[in-house]
Amino acid sequence: MSMMLQTRRDAGKTLVAVSGEVDLQNSGELRKALLAVLSEHRHLAVDLSDVGYIDSSGIAGLIEAYQMARQSDLRFSLATVSAAVLRVLKLARLDEVFAIEAQPIQEGV
Amino acid sequence: MVFGRAAFPPRLVGRILKLMPEPSPRRRSNSYHRQLDLIAEMSHDFATAGNLGETLQRGLQKVAAFVGAEAASLFLVDETTGELVCEACVGPVDISGLRLPPGQGIVGRVVDQNKATIVNDAHSDPHFAALIDAKTGFSTRSILCAPLSVRDERLGAVELINKAGRGLFHPGDRQLLRALGVSAALAISNARLTRAMVDQERVRHELQLAAEIQRGMLPGRMPDGFPVVGINRPAHEVSGDFFDIVELPGGRIAFAIGDVAGKGINAALLMARTSSIFHCLAKSHRRPAALLATINQELCETDGRRGMFVTMAAGVLDRATGSVLLANAGHEPPLLYRDGDFTAFPAGAPPLGIAASLVPPTMPEQWIELGGGALYLFTDGLTESRSEDAMLGAQGMRRLIGETAALSALPRLQAIIDRLTPPGAALRDDLTLLVVEDGRPKPLLAARFEVCPECLCDMRHRVEAAARAAGCAGGSAADVVLAVDEACQNVIRHGYRGKGEVILEMRRDQAGRLEIQLIDFAPPVDPARVKSRPLDQLRPGGLGSHFIRSVMDEVLFLPPPEGAGNFLKMVKGMP
Repeated sequence: MSMMLQTRRDAGKTLVAVSGEVDLQNSGELRKALLAVLSEHRHLAVDLSDVGYIDSSGIAGLIEAYQMARQSDLRFSLATVSAAVLRVLKLARLDEVFAIEAQPIQEGV
Repeated sequence: MVFGRAAFPPRLVGRILKLMPEPSPRRRSNSYHRQLDLIAEMSHDFATAGNLGETLQRGLQKVAAFVGAEAASLFLVDETTGELVCEACVGPVDISGLRLPPGQGIVGRVVDQNKATIVNDAHSDPHFAALIDAKTGFSTRSILCAPLSVRDERLGAVELINKAGRGLFHPGDRQLLRALGVSAALAISNARLTRAMVDQERVRHELQLAAEIQRGMLPGRMPDGFPVVGINRPAHEVSGDFFDIVELPGGRIAFAIGDVAGKGINAALLMARTSSIFHCLAKSHRRPAALLATINQELCETDGRRGMFVTMAAGVLDRATGSVLLANAGHEPPLLYRDGDFTAFPAGAPPLGIAASLVPPTMPEQWIELGGGALYLFTDGLTESRSEDAMLGAQGMRRLIGETAALSALPRLQAIIDRLTPPGAALRDDLTLLVVEDGRPKPLLAARFEVCPECLCDMRHRVEAAARAAGCAGGSAADVVLAVDEACQNVIRHGYRGKGEVILEMRRDQAGRLEIQLIDFAPPVDPARVKSRPLDQLRPGGLGSHFIRSVMDEVLFLPPPEGAGNFLKMVKGMP
């Protein structure tokens, strides 16, 4: 299952909805997309509710976007995250670093 | 003229005899009975002879005295040169040991024609070997010679020389000598047969000793559950086949199977030599290709026997990983039987002992992942054995392995051999069979994967399926998937620096924990380089190793098996 990205404007922020599995094959594409949004828009929100899997390279892409936003005084947030993503964020202790707007819908874990 | 032992000059004796009246019928009958007595007595002597040489000598004396001959000799055909050799003689000149070329002299003619003959004027016979008289100073006048033969075998001849008193040998003498010749020939033939039997018995006894020593060279019975087991059934006392199992430090086991061309004692000796070299070198050579190359070197340096060679496959099992590194020099391809499928591993070099350059230490080696399967090595005695007039062949071998798979190792090997050797049937060739098993619990997943960014997704799904099938709950399965994915990413980044292959195995260990092994063939990576970074430094990269350590209970970089690059073992306790 590959990754899909959808970008749309929503009430002053640019929402990037990610679906599928984020791994070494496509994390570069995600990173580029996120950094591109931040170069043009002030507020990036990433929707990870439909992500079944994310690896360290995907998390690294999120970290880069987070760091760029901080340096340039932009906003970076996670709109919603899936349970799978939250698990990995917790492993990296990023669940409290990233602003997560909505708690994940609990899957049968 | 030389006088013999006769007290009177022969001429004189002859005159005396001529003066004597012809024997009356009564006296003839008396002489006839004496002849029969002599034949009976000498036949008995020959039949019960302890020392044949002495008996022949005595017999010759008796017959010479009985017939009234000045001298007598017995010649036997030398079995290797065909010469006639004087084995016994009586008379004034000792010619024992004298050798006549084949067919020479009157003796030679009698042997060739297998017919007794009387020559009453030796010097007028073109066959007469006057040379002997010239040498010995003896003067031969008349000869009576009878062949010694049994069935079609020409053993030699016996001859009487110079009937005393210038008399002539007569047909009665010839018949007597013929009759005695027959029983002497039988005695000689029997003695030879007996000697051959004694020789044979000695050879048989020595073969038994050799077989005992050879059996002693095969490994003894392995402890139950030992992952390498072999069996050898020789067709004759000694075998040209061998196998060996050598336990090495670090949980490694070296093994080998070999088949010397030909059968019999020369094959057995070469087998003994080859297996001794293997047994000795297995402890110091880590790689089977180098080992076979050294054995080949050794055999080629010192063995002058042309046309003899050894097919051999040798390998090392790493018990911890269930991997085998195999090298095959001209041997029947070993078969891996795993999950109902067979893989054959053909030879990477010609047999040993032909030429030193043919088996270089760089000859190909095969990396075999047992993955819960078993590797079978066997000699062509198995594949070439016949049942119902058809050769078993490689296909038949596969069938047998499949059919006996449910048995444990040793009974399985015995069952395969028994199927090939109907009770009572003689073996045509030595049979040797060796099995190398994965002694570890059966894997949940054992596969060779290509690792590259695009390949990881497929692998994750297979790992997840295996973990769930093993009863991992969703969270644990996700942890395992993440750990394997991250470990493979490390292999791509730090090992291959691109794509490459890994061998991934998942199994439950004895304690019920989930054990994951990842072996790659990349250059060895210093584990310190892939260690996890402190999390307070918020930056991309270095997270993968941290993830692995977070979700697994044990993460170990172990010494890789020979031929591999890196060996990572991860363990997760199952809730």
